[in-house]
Amino acid sequence: MTTANPAPKKSSTKPPFLKRLLAHQESGLVLVIILISLGLTLFGTLNPVETKNAIERPAGSQVLLLDAQGVTHANGTIARTKIATYRVKSPDSHTDYPANQIKNYDSTTDTLYKITKLNPFLNKSNLVLVTKDASFFAIIAVGMTGVIILAGIDLSVGSIYGLCAIVGAMILTNLPPDTGWIVAVPIALLVCMTVGTLCGFANGAMSEGLGVHPFVITLGMMAILRGLTVVIPQELFGTQSIGGFPTSFTTGFFKAEFFGVYPVPVIIMILCGIVGWFVLAKTVFGRRIFAIGGNETAAKYAGIPVKKTKILVYTITGALCGLSACAYLGYYGAAETNAGNAYELQVIAATVIGGASLMGGRGTVIGAVLGAIIIQLINNTLIIFEVDTSYNQIVMGAAIIIAVVIDQTKQRIQARRA
Amino acid sequence: MSDTKPNLIATGISKRFGNTQALKDVTVSFFPGEVHALMGENGAGKSTLGKVLAGLHAQNTGTVTLNSRKLIPGSLDDAFHAGIRIVHQELAQCPNLSVAENLCLHDIPTKGLTVDFAEMERRAAALVHQLDPDIDVTKPLGLLSPGRRQICQIAASLDKNPDGSMIAKIIVLDEPTSSLSISEASILMDIARDLASKGLTIIYVSHRMSEIFTCCDRVTILRDGKFVATNIVSEIDEPTLVEQMIGRRIEALQNKSNGSNQSIETQALKAQIGTDHHTPVSHSGNPRLVIKKLYSPGKLDNCSLNLYPGEVLGIGGLVGAGRSELFDAIFNIDTRAKGSVKIDGDEILGKGIRAAIDAGVGLGYVPEDRRIQGLFFNLGIDENIIAPIMNRMAGPLGIRNRAAELETVRKRIGRFQIKTASLSQTTPGELSGGNQQKLLIARWMTQDTKVLLLDEPTRGIDVGTKAEIYKLIRQAADDGLAILLVSSEMPELLALSDRILVMGDGQIKGELTENQMTQTNILTLATKEKAHALV
Repeated sequence: MTTANPAPKKSSTKPPFLKRLLAHQESGLVLVIILISLGLTLFGTLNPVETKNAIERPAGSQVLLLDAQGVTHANGTIARTKIATYRVKSPDSHTDYPANQIKNYDSTTDTLYKITKLNPFLNKSNLVLVTKDASFFAIIAVGMTGVIILAGIDLSVGSIYGLCAIVGAMILTNLPPDTGWIVAVPIALLVCMTVGTLCGFANGAMSEGLGVHPFVITLGMMAILRGLTVVIPQELFGTQSIGGFPTSFTTGFFKAEFFGVYPVPVIIMILCGIVGWFVLAKTVFGRRIFAIGGNETAAKYAGIPVKKTKILVYTITGALCGLSACAYLGYYGAAETNAGNAYELQVIAATVIGGASLMGGRGTVIGAVLGAIIIQLINNTLIIFEVDTSYNQIVMGAAIIIAVVIDQTKQRIQARRA
Repeated sequence: MSDTKPNLIATGISKRFGNTQALKDVTVSFFPGEVHALMGENGAGKSTLGKVLAGLHAQNTGTVTLNSRKLIPGSLDDAFHAGIRIVHQELAQCPNLSVAENLCLHDIPTKGLTVDFAEMERRAAALVHQLDPDIDVTKPLGLLSPGRRQICQIAASLDKNPDGSMIAKIIVLDEPTSSLSISEASILMDIARDLASKGLTIIYVSHRMSEIFTCCDRVTILRDGKFVATNIVSEIDEPTLVEQMIGRRIEALQNKSNGSNQSIETQALKAQIGTDHHTPVSHSGNPRLVIKKLYSPGKLDNCSLNLYPGEVLGIGGLVGAGRSELFDAIFNIDTRAKGSVKIDGDEILGKGIRAAIDAGVGLGYVPEDRRIQGLFFNLGIDENIIAPIMNRMAGPLGIRNRAAELETVRKRIGRFQIKTASLSQTTPGELSGGNQQKLLIARWMTQDTKVLLLDEPTRGIDVGTKAEIYKLIRQAADDGLAILLVSSEMPELLALSDRILVMGDGQIKGELTENQMTQTNILTLATKEKAHALV
């Protein structure tokens, strides 16, 4: 009998910490992120970006060029390499700038420049920019993970996102400009997320109620909702773009500055990731999603409310589209009718790169968020290497295929070992 | 037979799967014109040997020769052309295609560029109608009952030369009757005998003891991948075979003369489970489950029954009699069912599956097909067991109570002796069939479960685990659980049940109690009135 072979006891011989860490689904993704980041950092160190900033100086001041001995030279009488100090001299005081920081004095415009070398990848604002760009669709990918684990699909997320943004913008633009964030933010969230929730519910209810595969329903919804997104502002405002929101909503909240960067969308993404992980791993609802995705018939026979659970997952995905759209409105301060175009591809790609199986039953929220970051890192790579952005799609497509092939090979090896 | 020479010889066959030694130095000869059974417990290697012979698996060492020609190891093609056919244990067919397409899949007849459907159907009909003339070969295979699907697959290996002789020389039947009803099985056995009488070698891989004695000439026993013995069936008795299979002697099987007219097999089983002196549960109290005039279009017709606490009510019948359909209706899976299903006086019909399961009602259902209807292969053993009641154990907002879950799971695994390496890391795919089945029964062993529906609870699992499951079922009933048991295995049904209802054509055809409970009576009732197509 096969059971006669005693299985190795896992509890007694715990593999070392590092090995356990590596065995984790997400560790491969983190590794990829680290590798790309290391590469970009290295490349950035070799090819720093120089920025010139004019140094402000008091009116009527004069720039003096001093050599190492402190002797003042007239402009043009000293070789550039011999300048040790730039002295900004006002009638009553002076400030010295060592020459190693100040690389340039333009005598024709009488401007003193401060030049800084910046690693194009490894700097605060670029890093936040990358994660910020990822966050808008990573938030949606949290919901999409649930959908994919159910062995479902939602192609309409980009359109839901667009519609939520447009409807939210129509409300926001009519608020008085001095509305406080305490009013503007809840209103915008309520509007965007209500629209998203309704759209998501429609997806779930239609595919479950009519018994039509969600691919078809959400494909149809993708077109319908995108159409509405274009038609509504055209009919009501005669425009493709709606802006002019209370500043408390934009710079006051979603684009609030902390330490010189704008991290709010990233914070929302992280919160969504944590909540999503918790729901999938620690709640009955989450485990039911896995059960249904693993074996829908068995789920039915085990008394799991299959339809209800599925509809709820689509609804939540819609609501997250609304949340993401709201963050987008606040960050950019305007809504375009093409907002979220082709987002469904990015979202599904993030989820799949993150280890979710389109066959259902497998996937992680953390993986999806990391997948979204990887996608943006690839984008960022192309920007840093100054590759034409049209190449993005080619690289992205290849990345998806490679990620899934690697993942499935890993699965197969694990299955063979077991 | 003994004076002819063997045509198929397997010499020194060994086969490993990873860490498992499935076969170890097995040597067997097969003669033309014999039905040769391969027997053993699950994992004994009998199916593996069949698959090595048919070229489905490549052996690691050893040779297979057919009429002195060495076959290429692991080459299905070579074996096929040499005339070896196999009928798989698992149904491997395309349910979306018609029966005809399934049967001609390897060689679809064409007319010009298009498929010649008429020819295809003619060929398929010629094959299938040898076994069952009522099968419509133009129907999608998926719409047939499991029994008929199996028959179609067996029919696929019965193709003939233009002169009417069989092309196949050897047919390996791997658990051919595991999803068949008794009458279908007996037809199949007749066919096996008939084919053997025409000079074919039938290799018959089976669990079922009675079939060995009905239709086989010789039987080779394997145990733990090793050859134990090849016996001439007419010269051996059942206890000796069982002893060879499990390597220990089951204690005295023969029932003393208590006037019972049950078969020795059933009595042996009863002795083993401890139900040989079991007296049927009294019907003095209130019935736990009352079903009145249950009807479902095209499936069930006017079914009524009472089930009492502590009772095992067996439901016998042929495949397609409506037994699983009855369970689906009770459990609210069949939403078109009408009538009345009451548990302790509460109506549950039409109130949804959840309502049937929830505390206070306490209905549980172990469905027929554990792989398709039962298990979550992506989840751990713990979540597989806890699935129906996870919500009841959870805290506010549905946040899981892991500690309580694990304690419950541990208790049930202990009670059912499920052999698993880990609670949450092991998935059901890593368990043996018997342990998978025990897991599914354990799923419903909650304190709240009052009525349990068991549909073929021991299908395709080995003798040892079967006996364990029988004891667990009987124990649960003795503790007060009311059990409805559907089984196509006669000894199982007869040994476990307090009473037996026999179904046919979606109706309950009759009830058998005490001494009426015999295989003959069940078959008689099952085939009453409207004669079954297969009889």
